[in-house]
This record gives sequence, C-alpha cells and structure tokens, in this order.
Amino acid sequence: MSFKVIPKVAMPEWIERLCTGYRVVGPKPLHGQHIFGDIQSAVELDLGYPTTVIPPKKYLLPQREELIRFKTDGSQVHVETVIEAKPTVVLGIHTCDLHAIQLLDRVFQQGYSDQHYQAHRENTYLVSIECLQPCIPHSFCKSMGTLSVTNGFDLHLTDIGDDYAVDIETKKGARLLDGFSAARDVTDEDYRLFNRVLSDKWARFPLRLDFDITELPSLLSVSYENKLWDELGERCLACGMCTNVCPTCYCFNVTDEVDFTLSAGQRTRVWDSCQLDKFATVSGGHNFRASRAQRQRHRFFRKGKYQMETYGLLGCVGCGRCGQACLADINMVDTLNDLYHRHANDRE
Amino acid sequence: MTLNLIETLPESSIYLPTQSRILEVQPLTKLEKLFTIELPGGIALGHKPGQFVEVSLLGVGEAPISISSSPSRSNGSFELCIRRAGDLTSVLHRMTSGETIGIRGPFGRGFPFERFRGKDMLFAPGGLGLAPLRSLINQVMDERGNFGRVIILYGARHPSELLFTNELAEWQARDDIELHLTVDRADDNWKGNVGVITTLFPKVDIHPRNTVAVTIGPPIMYRFVLMELLGKGIPEGNIWLSLERRMKCGVGKCGHCQINHLYTCQSGPSFSYAEIKHLAEAL
Amino acid sequence: MSAKPKVAFFDFTSCEGCQLTVIDSLQTHPEILDVIDIVCFREAMSEKGDDYQIAFIEGSCTRPSDEPVMKAIRDRAELVVALGACAHLGGINAIRNRFDLDDVRQYVYGDKAEWYETYQARPIKDVIPIDAVLPGCPIDRREFVAALKALLQGRAIQIPDYPVCVECKLKENICVYLRGKTCLGPITRAGCDAICPTYGDGCEGCRGLIPDPNIDSLKQILSEHGLNPEETLAKMTLFLNYQTMEREAVDDG
Repeated sequence: MSFKVIPKVAMPEWIERLCTGYRVVGPKPLHGQHIFGDIQSAVELDLGYPTTVIPPKKYLLPQREELIRFKTDGSQVHVETVIEAKPTVVLGIHTCDLHAIQLLDRVFQQGYSDQHYQAHRENTYLVSIECLQPCIPHSFCKSMGTLSVTNGFDLHLTDIGDDYAVDIETKKGARLLDGFSAARDVTDEDYRLFNRVLSDKWARFPLRLDFDITELPSLLSVSYENKLWDELGERCLACGMCTNVCPTCYCFNVTDEVDFTLSAGQRTRVWDSCQLDKFATVSGGHNFRASRAQRQRHRFFRKGKYQMETYGLLGCVGCGRCGQACLADINMVDTLNDLYHRHANDRE
Repeated sequence: MTLNLIETLPESSIYLPTQSRILEVQPLTKLEKLFTIELPGGIALGHKPGQFVEVSLLGVGEAPISISSSPSRSNGSFELCIRRAGDLTSVLHRMTSGETIGIRGPFGRGFPFERFRGKDMLFAPGGLGLAPLRSLINQVMDERGNFGRVIILYGARHPSELLFTNELAEWQARDDIELHLTVDRADDNWKGNVGVITTLFPKVDIHPRNTVAVTIGPPIMYRFVLMELLGKGIPEGNIWLSLERRMKCGVGKCGHCQINHLYTCQSGPSFSYAEIKHLAEAL
Repeated sequence: MSAKPKVAFFDFTSCEGCQLTVIDSLQTHPEILDVIDIVCFREAMSEKGDDYQIAFIEGSCTRPSDEPVMKAIRDRAELVVALGACAHLGGINAIRNRFDLDDVRQYVYGDKAEWYETYQARPIKDVIPIDAVLPGCPIDRREFVAALKALLQGRAIQIPDYPVCVECKLKENICVYLRGKTCLGPITRAGCDAICPTYGDGCEGCRGLIPDPNIDSLKQILSEHGLNPEETLAKMTLFLNYQTMEREAVDDG
C-alpha cells in the first residue's frame, strides 16, 4: 500500500504509544532463549532475536482457550459462547511464522469457520520483520521459500541501518502509525538502502534441502513405506515437543471443567499432538496410529504433502523449531534430505 | 492515540451445543441403550443416513455418535444407539427421559442415497454397526418400491448382543427382506447360524453389477467382509462402509480423525471402498 | 454416589506429604467440605470412622502386617484411590528393592535390625485392587481437586497419559536440557503442570512412566548429555525403581 520510515531512536516512543491503545507483544529474552511476551517498553523488546520457543500462533490459537461456559439452574441450562479477543499488536514476526499464519487462516476459515480463531485474528495486528541473518542452525526458510513476504502482514519492518523501513499493507497497519509524527516519508536514500539490504541478504542464507521444495509432496508419495519412519520411531520420545513448537500445527483436544456445585463450568480447548500415544485412539480402545513410526510419518506427511493437498500450502515453513526442540535430534532437514538420497539411490 | 475499538465479537460458536431433550431411553442389550432426542421446538435434525452428531454433556465432554433413526421417520425427534464404553457414555447411560443433553451437528458425509435407488441392497452390519446402518435400512424400507432386493446379513458375538430385536423380527416376517443372522457363540435358545459374519455370504446369490453393498462394523471385520464382497464381484465404487475415528470437533479442525490427508468428519465417515482403498491408514 | 460421600484417608509407608497437600486443598477449596464428609483422616482430625465409600491411601506396602490392613480398607470402601508416588509406584521406598534386604535393614537399624519386619516395597495395587491413582510426590493439588469433582459426578478419575514435556512446552518453559541439565520429562506422566522444569530443575519421574515410554532413546540422550551409566541408573531408580525392575524382569524373561 505505502511506505514509511521509523527512525530507530523513535521506536521507544512508538511502542509507548501503541501500549496506550493495544496489548503489545513481541520477542523477549528468557534464560538464553526468546519467547513472545507482553511488552511495556522498548527495552524489553529484542527484534534481533533468533527464534522463539513457541511461535506467535499462540495469540491466534492460545494453548488453552475457553470455548463455552455453562451454568445449570434447576432444570434451566444456560450455555454461552466465550470469545475474548483484545486488540493485540504482535511485533517482530519472522517471515516464516507469517507464512504459517496464512496456513492457519485457511484451516480455521475454510469449511466451518472457527469464530474463536477468527475473533483473535481480526483483533491481531501482525507486524513482521525482514530477516537479514540466519537465525538458528535448524532453520531452512530459504529452501522453503519463506525467507521473505509480500503480503499477509499489516506492517512489515526492514532494518536499513539507523531506521526501519515500514511496508504498510493494510488499513489496520496504517492505524498503528496514526498520529505518530516520527514516522516520516521515504526518501530516495531510504529506497537505496532498502534495496541494498534486501539484495545483500539472500547470499547469507544457505539452501539446506538437497532438492527443490516443489518435489517434496511427490518425494513423500513414494516414501510411505520407507524404513526411515521406523528408524525415526526408534528414536522418537513421543513427547509432542515438535508439534507444540510448530507454527503450523493446530490440533487440539477439548476438556470440560466444573466447579464443586457440579452445575457450572467451562469447556476448554488445549493444544494436542498427533505424536502422543493416544491421539488416534477411539472409545473402544483401538489406536489407529499406535506406533511412534506411524505417528512421525503422519507428521512429516502433514507438513510436506497433506496440507498442500487440503489447503494448497505446505505445512512446513522451515522455522527449524521442531529440530531445535527435539532431544532425539529428529529434524526436518536431515530427514527430508535422507529420504531424498535414499530414493535417488534406489533409482540408480 | 485513539483507542481502537474491538472488532465486533461473534456470539455463536461452531462448538456451542444445542440443548436438547431426551424423550425416551430404551435398553437394547446389557451395553446398549436407544436414546430418543428432541431438538428445541421439535425441529428436524435434517440428517442423512451415515451422518453423526456430537453428543455433549456439559461438565463431562463430547463424543461423536452416529444417528440410528431414518430421516424418513423423524417425527420431530431422532434416535441414537449408544454403547456404554467410556467416561461420557457411562454418564449418559445413567440419564433418563426429560433430562437435557447437548447436540451439535449433524456432521460428516452420509451415504449417497440417491445413487442407491434402483439397486439391490446388500447390508452387512457387524455388532454395533447395525446402529448407524439401521438409519439407511429404514430409509430404504420407507421407499421400498424404488429398490430391488434387500438383503441383510447381520452378525453379533452372542444372541444377547443382537440390537433392535423387535425390528429384526419384523424384517424376518416380511417377504421383501432377506434377513440372515449369525452369532459367534450361541446360547441354548439359538436356532440360527453360528459363526462369524463371513459365514453368511455363501448363503446369498446376488447380481454383482446391480448390487450396492453397505457394511459397518469393527475395524477387524472390514478386511474379511471386503474380501467376500469383492469376491462376489461387486464393483469397488458400490461397496460402502463407515469408518470409526475419534471425531472430537466434528468440524474438520482438531485433527484427531485424520486418515492420511482426509478428515473423517468432513470427507466421511461414509466412504466407498474405491475412495479409501489407496489410503494406508483407512483399514 | 450418595449426596455427600463419606471419605477416609489412610497412610502406610510414606512421608504423609500427600495428605498435607490434601490439607492444602481444603484450605484453598474449603467448599470441598460442603460436598464430602471426611470420616477418617489421622493427620487432620482425631475422630475415626470406619463407614466410608471412598478411601484414599497414601504410602506403599513394605511389611507383611500392612496387607490385612489394606485388605480391610478395600472391603469397606466402594472406591480405593492410591494417593501419591508411594502408593502408586512404591515410591522412593522401593529403592531398597534393588539391594539385599538384610543389608538394608542392617544399614538402617544397626544392631536393632531384628526388631523390624520389612520386605520389598510395593505399590498398593500389588496388594489390593484399586480404582484410580493420583500420582506424584507429592500429589498435585489441582489434580486432587479435579479427581474429587470427577468422583462426585460419578465419573472415573482422569489423569494424563502424555508426558511432562507437553505441559512444559505449553507453558513455554526453556527446556532444561538447553540449560545444561537432564530431565525425565519425556517419559514421565504429566499432570504436575511441569512444576520442576518450570523452576529450572529436571523432572525426577515421581509421577511414573507414561504408557509405552521410549526409555532406550532417553537413555541414549542422557548419555549424550554427560550422564554415565551409574548416574542414568540412579535417575531411573529414584521414583521409578519399581517400574524399572518390572521392565527388567520382562526383558530378562
């Protein structure tokens, strides 16, 4: 839509202004890592963060979220929808995570529209940031085509030295700059810096997959019976960390709680994981994905094939969080490259 | 800075159950009861045979239950045949007429009834599989003239586990239904066939090209019944079944019911064999 | 269950810390006393009743004379719930099962060893049938409260069947392995809201193993993180000794 420039020295003022009208969240350091958390002032914010433990999806699909509340009064039953969505500005979203939100949008809007997600989504302001340096050893965004974005954000920041270039994509984004006079118009020199920064960055990022990403769905198609899944199953702890840190995972369970009168309570959804033992177990006790190998295969197929078939987008954005979280070092890059080479060798 | 107003928040939710009334509870076997449910104002559920609802007990949880009554016999209510198998169904089994339960749905894809018209129908329910299949059988019976032969091959583990025995007796008495029963283990009063459901298949001759087979039963049954049906020469697209999965949300979000890339609650639970035979996780 | 069920608490070999957690719960949730009748609770009251429907038992069975007492409780109660790691898993009492019992007795009681009866420590489910378990050392207060509600609803007590890592990650804790420590979270049943990792310490497994734990893989990971086989064994036999020995017996068989 349009461009502005925010001098870095004016960032504290901008954040302070945002805090008066919105809940503001962004990356903050914690025990040597980073998490997305509430920001009261610019000193807490670390826009140069490598990655976060959990992606910003938690603001759209919270780890725990009340869906309905109920109260029984004699024979009268009162049930109501619970939707609480505070206008929230999420600062510093990496482009991989922004791509992931585009998939979540499709999941929760396609077919039955999920009003709870939708309410969070409409009240969330996405302020993304251009990555100029590789973040963690496990990330492979360049291979996945998620190292940049052209849409899907409200504002997109690019560090051009003393300033941030701000790409204003939506009216919601423009609203965040309303009356903020330090945000100035773009000069030719800004454009020159912006172009230089963008063209310089690509060479810094390695291509880590040994094949083109468009081949991934078909590679998986011919790999369903590969022994690799059994090997992963031997190592996998079935702890669910890979899916809980994944920006595109959204599976959930639903549980009820009551108070001691047993007549009032709430129904809550909680993140669930296809990697957990009982995820696909039905009430009679039959488990349709009883082995860790089957469950790992299911995860990789969801990421690399199923989501593409159902929603038209790959289910992996190359953020590398699953590999970083996995104690057994099961990671996307090694697994997919391994599959590719096994398949290539089979053909020889 | 002007405070930004919260976008209008919706009041409804796809997860909000409709509070409905239990009209009648009828014990069928030691483990199964038939619940007659009325939506507020007696409005029709508007379901198709093969679809399911989410039964919701506030403070306990939700479970997917297939609909047992035929849309052609709605009378402002519908029926669910529920086996006491877990936490929620145990609580449900203690409930009586007049009490309130929540309903969401109907969800999922039912059987393509329109495509079945004019065909010979071969129904092969096993155990609790008769509960959902009864919905389809009765819809067929309610327009009996539009169908060819109606053959029912029903297997249960024990005579005491046969469901809908009154209806079985009615079907038995009609000359336009060929009903064959079998039990895995007989009791002293049992005069009929003893053996698994597949022992019934040699007893019927069919016209394979004009027959639609619909089978519903436990996962282990499908492999053997499918061999029989395919062995009789019925085309894969004319063999239908219903797959049980953990359809937690019913609306294609929660992920529990996935069979490979398909959400059972959206693409199923009714599938033709042709649709699922290439899915490794289906059977 | 009747309108106000009668509840009793009992203890065998244990530190009674789980019952302290129950007392904690009564302080944070005084309304509990509106919905249940506590008829026997040695740690909290002097009255003693033997008419009860629900029995919570803390502690493991460690001597022959425990058995008839447990069986008498089982006979009286409609529902028996194992309260905490000792009742659930044998607890740390079961560490001794790995050693010669005479040596252990000698070590603890010296020349008075002959005065004390003792045998291998066992979870109570090995002595009497039980209906439910509340794991942990000590039990989790919220889980105890949720369990009471489930019982009042006439439902089975639900405890998680997934590992501590799930709760830990949902809280967005930094993995303690990344903080240079080791943790049994990946194989240990959740329900504690990952309290130890939340405060920066590794999980010790007090809530017992999840169904189908991948212990071989975790041992490999522990060794990659610097634990030698003795240290790994020590970790696997603090709270988990009874379960570990059960698994060893199966493997040998």
